[in-house]
Amino acid sequence: MSTATDTKAAPEETASEEIAPRAEEQEVVPAIDENLQARIGLMITPAFFLLLLIGLVYAWTTTEFDPTTARILGFEGLVDKFGEHLFITFWSTVFVVGIAIPLGIALTRPRLRGIAPLVVTFASSGQAIPAYGLIVLFLVLLGQGTRTAIAALTVFALIPVLRNTMVGLDQVDKPTIEAARGMGLSKWQVLRQIELPLAVPVILAGVRTALIINVGMAALVFLIGGGALGETINSALKLNRPVAVFIGGALVALLALAIDFIAALAERYLRPKGI
Amino acid sequence: MTDALIHLENVSKTYPGTSVPAVAELDLRIPKGDVLVLVGPSGCGKSTTLRLINRMIEPTGGRIIFDGEDVTEVNADNLRRRMGYVIQQIGLFPHRTIAENISTVPNLLGWKSDRISSRIDELLDMVGMDPSIYRNRYPKELSGGQAQRVGVARALSADPEVMLMDEPFGAIDPITRDRLQNEFLRLQEELQKTIVFVTHDIDEAIKMGDRIAILRQQSQIAQYDTPEAILAQPANDFVSDFLGKGAIIKGLNLKRMSDIEPDRIPAVRQDASPDEARRALDESSDGRILVLDEQDRPLRWIDRSAVEGDQPLANSGYEVTAVVEPDDTLRDSLELMLQSTASSACCIDDDGRYRGVVRIEDLTRFLAAMQQAERERRAESDYEPEQVTLS
Amino acid sequence: MDGLVSFFEYIVDQIDDIIELGIEHAIYILSVIVCGGIVSIGLGIWTRNQPIAREVALAVASVFLTLPSLALFVLFIPIFGLGFWPPFVALFMYSLLPILRNTVTGLAEVNPAVMESAKGMGLSSRQVLWQVQMPLAWPVILTGIRVSALLTAGIAAIATLVAGGGLGDFIKEGLTRLGLPNGVEAIWTGTVFIVLLALLFDAAFVLLRRLTTPAGIR
Repeated sequence: MSTATDTKAAPEETASEEIAPRAEEQEVVPAIDENLQARIGLMITPAFFLLLLIGLVYAWTTTEFDPTTARILGFEGLVDKFGEHLFITFWSTVFVVGIAIPLGIALTRPRLRGIAPLVVTFASSGQAIPAYGLIVLFLVLLGQGTRTAIAALTVFALIPVLRNTMVGLDQVDKPTIEAARGMGLSKWQVLRQIELPLAVPVILAGVRTALIINVGMAALVFLIGGGALGETINSALKLNRPVAVFIGGALVALLALAIDFIAALAERYLRPKGI
Repeated sequence: MTDALIHLENVSKTYPGTSVPAVAELDLRIPKGDVLVLVGPSGCGKSTTLRLINRMIEPTGGRIIFDGEDVTEVNADNLRRRMGYVIQQIGLFPHRTIAENISTVPNLLGWKSDRISSRIDELLDMVGMDPSIYRNRYPKELSGGQAQRVGVARALSADPEVMLMDEPFGAIDPITRDRLQNEFLRLQEELQKTIVFVTHDIDEAIKMGDRIAILRQQSQIAQYDTPEAILAQPANDFVSDFLGKGAIIKGLNLKRMSDIEPDRIPAVRQDASPDEARRALDESSDGRILVLDEQDRPLRWIDRSAVEGDQPLANSGYEVTAVVEPDDTLRDSLELMLQSTASSACCIDDDGRYRGVVRIEDLTRFLAAMQQAERERRAESDYEPEQVTLS
Repeated sequence: MDGLVSFFEYIVDQIDDIIELGIEHAIYILSVIVCGGIVSIGLGIWTRNQPIAREVALAVASVFLTLPSLALFVLFIPIFGLGFWPPFVALFMYSLLPILRNTVTGLAEVNPAVMESAKGMGLSSRQVLWQVQMPLAWPVILTGIRVSALLTAGIAAIATLVAGGGLGDFIKEGLTRLGLPNGVEAIWTGTVFIVLLALLFDAAFVLLRRLTTPAGIR
């Protein structure tokens, strides 16, 4: 997974309705409500999940495993790799959230706003670095292991959350903030009670993107001794066991789909009501 | 009204998924060469009605007759190329130059390029924009008023018989709107197009319309008549409510300064001798005279006190503030008179030269005469206002 | 300093391979944006008046982007074997969403008044699309293609893991030879030249955008 995954996070901008929407005098245009859009989104992912699952089960049950394949796909090994994958994904996402959201808040405060474009430009240009290269360079810098893996993923997935935090806070209606200040809320209270809650949907979209990037990148950390499900794929590739390759790939894809689906649900239900 | 160019014959429009029609059984004749204004409160279906004419909205019932031909089923694109269409938001193509915008329909119709080119110049001249400056500009470089001029020019490009205009001046500031309305009326005098004009503003309707159709819900015609007749005798409560207070004042929108004969109060050039000024003052019925500049443009009012001293005429008296052009309506001039201290306005001709002076009393007298005439016309023709049953 | 010197020495030494693998990498990018562009723009146009089909297409394309690259690459091995095709198909699938979404947004964002007046002047719906809507949406669509190109440049690095070639080969080689002479240099070479290639494409898109955007909307 690389740079532009975070295009997912960009809030869909709707066309400005310049023609007066006089309902009764408008040609009935095929409009779509956001709810339907979300429902379609939530239906497609399970459909792909099922399709892949069927493929996986089919491959698993209809093939006679030779000893090598059986070893690669050994149950305990798979559970371990699965656990490593989740572990790396989870902690890298936690670090991303822990670093990017406070940084995004800081960079939208008046005192630091001046340097914000600089930081964003610098960070975005870092995204041009291919994920594969970045992971391996982290190995060169920090040595083998899970920690290096988590560090690499954290750095790589920082941008979507940082950018969405800043966008989310910036787009909060200025009069609303003005009104809150006028009622006597302190800057800190305005941030906690007004700005952050209103920015939540956009920030969540960024977190979801980061999560997806991390699931995908975690499949590459076997390259630097980080284990995880990518190792299953790699072993199968090296030992030339196509069925195991397919099953390994399907497992990673299923995991990503499941996490994305849960994230989509969370995105839907965690946003404050009324927005 | 046998010379209707367009006839909407019991036309209806019901949107899918709704049971109440937006336009119900509308029968409307649009006379050739006139400006017909459709006016009514928002939601009455006036825009829908306009859009039914060029089938931007397809009717669900009835027939559209255009120039004797049933066009309800013909190719809508071809039909639209025969009708100019101007909307409030203008909708110039931002990626095309002014010239390219105007040439859109002629291109579709396969005109030769030199014919198109000369047509562009002609149209830009017509709407008062210098072709050598504006031809190759882009829409983003125009002001709102200029953009709408181009919009009108583009709609006129293939010389359509019919112009459909949906609140064309609605989004333009009041001063520019006034000027555009006047220019438009002057243009129409020359072109004699059949125009259907939608507005929600009754003042604009009175000013622009040869005929007005006042519409109520579902495009039912509450009254369809000349502006004079509607003002003098509203057909029902709906119309009187819609006209609101001050129907007489609204009547002032009907006439222009060029319709009125101003009082020729004597005037002298600013370099005139005190004797000349005194002689002019003797002739004046008003006790005042006007001082004009070399081009005969009115400068100042002076009275007898001004010629007693030795001051130059150009510095004495007080400045002329209310100046009305021939295209200004009586309403415009009333407004100016009320603002100025003189309760009178100087009329000028198209070149800015002094024509005479009108006073507030002249306007009221003029109005009374107009209403009297309308009443007499009705009495003679034994006219009965069309009774529209209001369900 | 020594590192930088040996890095440049390595580049000079490997210049033939760099060019060859760079061309392989560029072929991925070019073929993917051409195919992805045709499919996505076509889909965007086709679904412009069909909201449900449009949302389904967008949802499918965005599911593609959630699939981890390595997983998607290897899923096609049973069908295509190793080599060019599994990465190509996967990269093609990734390229769809940015272009499709920008096509949809670009077409939808054309000022409704402009569309209304075009239709009112008697342009057929095909003429409205090609003479008005597409030229106005084009800069937005082109931005989508550019995003896809950059995305492809980065992910194509992984093609090497399924024997697909490209500049990722340097990174893989460096990784296997880590600790041996020129291991780190190879990793840097692969990474740096992928970034350079991406920047090259980016610059090409800036130029293309300038050349193909109508003057009135620049």
